[in-house]
Amino acid sequence: MGQLEWSTDEWLRHLTALPGVAGYEHVSVPEFEKVFGLFADKVERDKMGNVLAWIHGTGPEPRPRALLAAHLDRIGFLVSRVEPGGYLRVVSVGGFDQRTLPGKEVVIHSKPPMNAIFGTKPPHLQKKGEAERVIPLEDLYLDTGQPESVVRRRVPVGTMVMLRQPPVGLLKSRLASPGMDNRSGVAVLVRTLQALRERRPAWDVIAVGTVEEEDGQICVGARTSAEGLKPEIGIAIDVSHGDMPGTREGDTVPLGGGPSLCMGANIHAAVFDGLRSAARAIGLPFSVEVTPANSGTDAMDIQIASLGVATAVLGIPCRYMHTGVEVVEPRDVDRCATLLAHYLASLEPEWRATEVLK
Amino acid sequence: MKPRPGSLDALLKTLVPAYGPPGRETGVRAALRTALRGVGRTREDALGNLHLHLPGSGPRLLLVAAMDAPGVIVTRVESGGTARIDLLGGRGAAEAIGSTVLFADGERALVAYDRPASGKEGGALDSSSLYLATGYDKTAASKRFPVGSVGMLEARLDRLGDQWRASSLDNRAGAAAVAAAVLRSGRIPYDLHVIFTAQSELGSRGAMTGAFGVEPEMAVVVELAHVGEAKDQSPVTLGEGPCIGLKEHGYIAHPQALEMARKAAKAARVPIQYLVREEGSSDAGAVRRAGPGVPTVLIAIPARKTGGPDSLVHARDLERTVDLVVRLLATPPVPKPVPRARTPRRGGK
Amino acid sequence: MQAARAAKRSGAPRFEEHLLEAFSNADGPSGWEAPVRALIVSAVRDNVDSLEVDAMGNLVARIDPSGGRSRRGAPHVMLCAHMDEVGFMVTAVEKDGRLRFRRVGGIDPRILLGQVFRIGQNGARGVVGALPAHLLTNNDMNKVTPIEELFLDIGAASRDEALQAISIGDLVAFDTTYESAGRVRKGKAFDDRVGCAVLASLVQKRPPVPVTAVWTVQEEIGTRGAAAAARRVAPDLAIILEGTASGESPGASPEEQQPRMGGGPTITIQDRSLMADARLIDLLAKTAKRRKIPTQWKRPGVGGTDAGRIALSGAGVPAAVVSVACRYIHAPAAYLDIRDPQRVVELVWHALESLRKEWP
Repeated sequence: MGQLEWSTDEWLRHLTALPGVAGYEHVSVPEFEKVFGLFADKVERDKMGNVLAWIHGTGPEPRPRALLAAHLDRIGFLVSRVEPGGYLRVVSVGGFDQRTLPGKEVVIHSKPPMNAIFGTKPPHLQKKGEAERVIPLEDLYLDTGQPESVVRRRVPVGTMVMLRQPPVGLLKSRLASPGMDNRSGVAVLVRTLQALRERRPAWDVIAVGTVEEEDGQICVGARTSAEGLKPEIGIAIDVSHGDMPGTREGDTVPLGGGPSLCMGANIHAAVFDGLRSAARAIGLPFSVEVTPANSGTDAMDIQIASLGVATAVLGIPCRYMHTGVEVVEPRDVDRCATLLAHYLASLEPEWRATEVLK
Repeated sequence: MKPRPGSLDALLKTLVPAYGPPGRETGVRAALRTALRGVGRTREDALGNLHLHLPGSGPRLLLVAAMDAPGVIVTRVESGGTARIDLLGGRGAAEAIGSTVLFADGERALVAYDRPASGKEGGALDSSSLYLATGYDKTAASKRFPVGSVGMLEARLDRLGDQWRASSLDNRAGAAAVAAAVLRSGRIPYDLHVIFTAQSELGSRGAMTGAFGVEPEMAVVVELAHVGEAKDQSPVTLGEGPCIGLKEHGYIAHPQALEMARKAAKAARVPIQYLVREEGSSDAGAVRRAGPGVPTVLIAIPARKTGGPDSLVHARDLERTVDLVVRLLATPPVPKPVPRARTPRRGGK
Repeated sequence: MQAARAAKRSGAPRFEEHLLEAFSNADGPSGWEAPVRALIVSAVRDNVDSLEVDAMGNLVARIDPSGGRSRRGAPHVMLCAHMDEVGFMVTAVEKDGRLRFRRVGGIDPRILLGQVFRIGQNGARGVVGALPAHLLTNNDMNKVTPIEELFLDIGAASRDEALQAISIGDLVAFDTTYESAGRVRKGKAFDDRVGCAVLASLVQKRPPVPVTAVWTVQEEIGTRGAAAAARRVAPDLAIILEGTASGESPGASPEEQQPRMGGGPTITIQDRSLMADARLIDLLAKTAKRRKIPTQWKRPGVGGTDAGRIALSGAGVPAAVVSVACRYIHAPAAYLDIRDPQRVVELVWHALESLRKEWP
């Protein structure tokens, strides 16, 4: 029945099409709720906009909880002002790679939506040396081609702007699209929920589509959802840097090599060991990614929420992060979900992250 | 003639100059307590926040305004009787030059800066270039300004045409607006908590803990937003009304709180502007992520920096901010179903 | 001997130097505090009423006060020191057997050249070599090499050879051994192994108020352990025990030299993370004066500690920091004066007695 039998490639195409920068995730939340609802026992939204999808465990009450977090927000822009001539200025939400913007097409999410282009000066009008500089965002502008009166009427300050770039199939089933960060993580949640329905764990598992990971210094959704749920274990699923030329040994993980298991202060040793053992037991390829202090994911905020949480991070290899051509291999997404489902099913009902010595 | 309760002029006159650097907000706390006497129960918490509770039926609403103002702390006294300082708060070093610093016990000193001999400034100034001229020799200065003394940049309220001018308008003007709104309000269909926060200048510290303790269902934060120098083309202008903050660093308006503010502005016929920027930070960012999160909206009073200690605020924007907040407080909440995550408490805190 | 006699007279516990030595020699960069935690557990287990390791690795010990049930109104005090030190992690092994590594915590990269390190659990040692002067241009001699371009040489000739001795993800710590000379003690990680040892010494006797002693994790990478620990403990107030940088250096004015090694407990008024609670500072200063313990002020505006996190936890906690001033605190080898930790133990102990009578 349609989405129940979708391939991962279809899921990625569907999920990367949904807009939603940090703080504006709510425009797509009904769809996320519907998607999670295909497989979860219960779906709800908390007051900060996080989407929580529950799989009730089989163990005796009170059941410990495992939180799986994948952030719903993606990078994009907000209109900051309309200028004479109808040109629009924007601010960045979440760190889009500014070098890649000149000349790109965008969708302005006004009612109704309008298309626009990041305008550029033609070469013969540029000053000497100008072409050697990266254009900062403050100097970029959007051109809708429409008269100023139309733009002023239809596009209020604060309107969301997303890059307009449909997914592109590459060789080896690889897929390039904006929003792989982190809709590929959301796809992992969907696949994991699907697997857990078949093979229920003893623990309660809550897959959370978190808000506002990309913007600001705090992952707001991760922090607030962990405060509300108080899980024993929290695993963040996010993209990792896939192998690319010009990088150092140890800085990337191989595309097609399966999920990466992060290792560092943000990772609880027992959860890491459990994930690694589960991967080895089922012969699943994976790599180890060393993140000494900061994993740069929702797990940073989950770990220190409430009384503390045992956290881990699973990475989906992704090339060219924070551009419109993020490349992911769907097989890595599947492997990530398979690993999670196996690991969660292996959790003993009595295990707790706190050890009582006396 | 006694000014009517909720008079902004009277509140500004007492709040703007009140002693209250970050972490030592004693004077402004007392001034607020006096101004709000009889309105409701007040208390001071561990960080120095001033809480005012107006119990009522209805959802718990939190109204926030920072009350601290930029200050300095003495780091050492030197052989000439001058004192080296560290700045407390977001004020740039250059802006503090020439200010008088007031200490809690009445001592005063002058923020000074020695220009390099060559006459050329080499790069951005920071607090290590500044010092306090105390007027005393080393022995006397060490006694009167011991290491750790905390002072506030002196603030004097002045009116220039239609605009207020003072160095502590950020955020004494916000605090005055909130106090005025509370004093002018009749019956409020909420369980209202007001927090005048401490240590806001040090990274919204008071807001973080204050909001956590209250666990509100929605929050409104009133602050100043400096919207650029006169020559900038900022879309926000002084005199065109208060801003509703849509986005700042670490803050996005919650859709429901935003809607509430928009509706109140319309009903009160208050013209509003919208604030969208990558930088800037206020207590709103801290309040919204307290505990399991709080739907929050920022009301930002447009202000202009001058390059020196003083900021400028349009008097009309301030009055309209009060009108907006009064209407927000008076409007019963829309009974929109917000699905709540079930959070059964499982021991611990 | 003098310290022990003074302690006996005053009723405060004695500072146990052997703990400082053991803790300083143990390796525990942020996130891998287990070896240090194990030593602390051995040292305090018999003296505490309960002992837990939380989800982040913080060690939490509760001790009821002497006299059984606490006097009504006696404040619940959190005493805190962090177990982690700055260090490094092996991130990759090059084909030729050299190791790439990255920081855990803040370190001046200039102290790494020519340094010897301990790596992993198997006793491997490595060096961060510097190209000899003969082979460099003048320009290169004056450049600071960033950590990403440095390598650890453990003597392996190939990746396989290296992986027999170490693993990717192994922890790397300074190869420093604790030593004494007169009053001076030399060792690594005095920030904050001296605080850990002071705290372990304090709990040898039942305190006058209910105390939860917490040895935290991940302070050096953003005071992270303290965030979770403070919510678990939910104290009425907190005193954080640290090792802090002394101001001493040749040519500095007398005022700039403060705080000094040997100048007594250093009390914080304000740092980047915290406005210390004014009443607590006052109580500490008055206690010090009464007991004739020399104290000094930490230079305001410098550094940050777990106290900042704890003060901002929950609905807010009054907090203060008492430190031992050490020279060369974030370097491979630091110095302290052995009288200072004993003075901190006494100051905190007698402050707890005052708190019983005077707080809130």
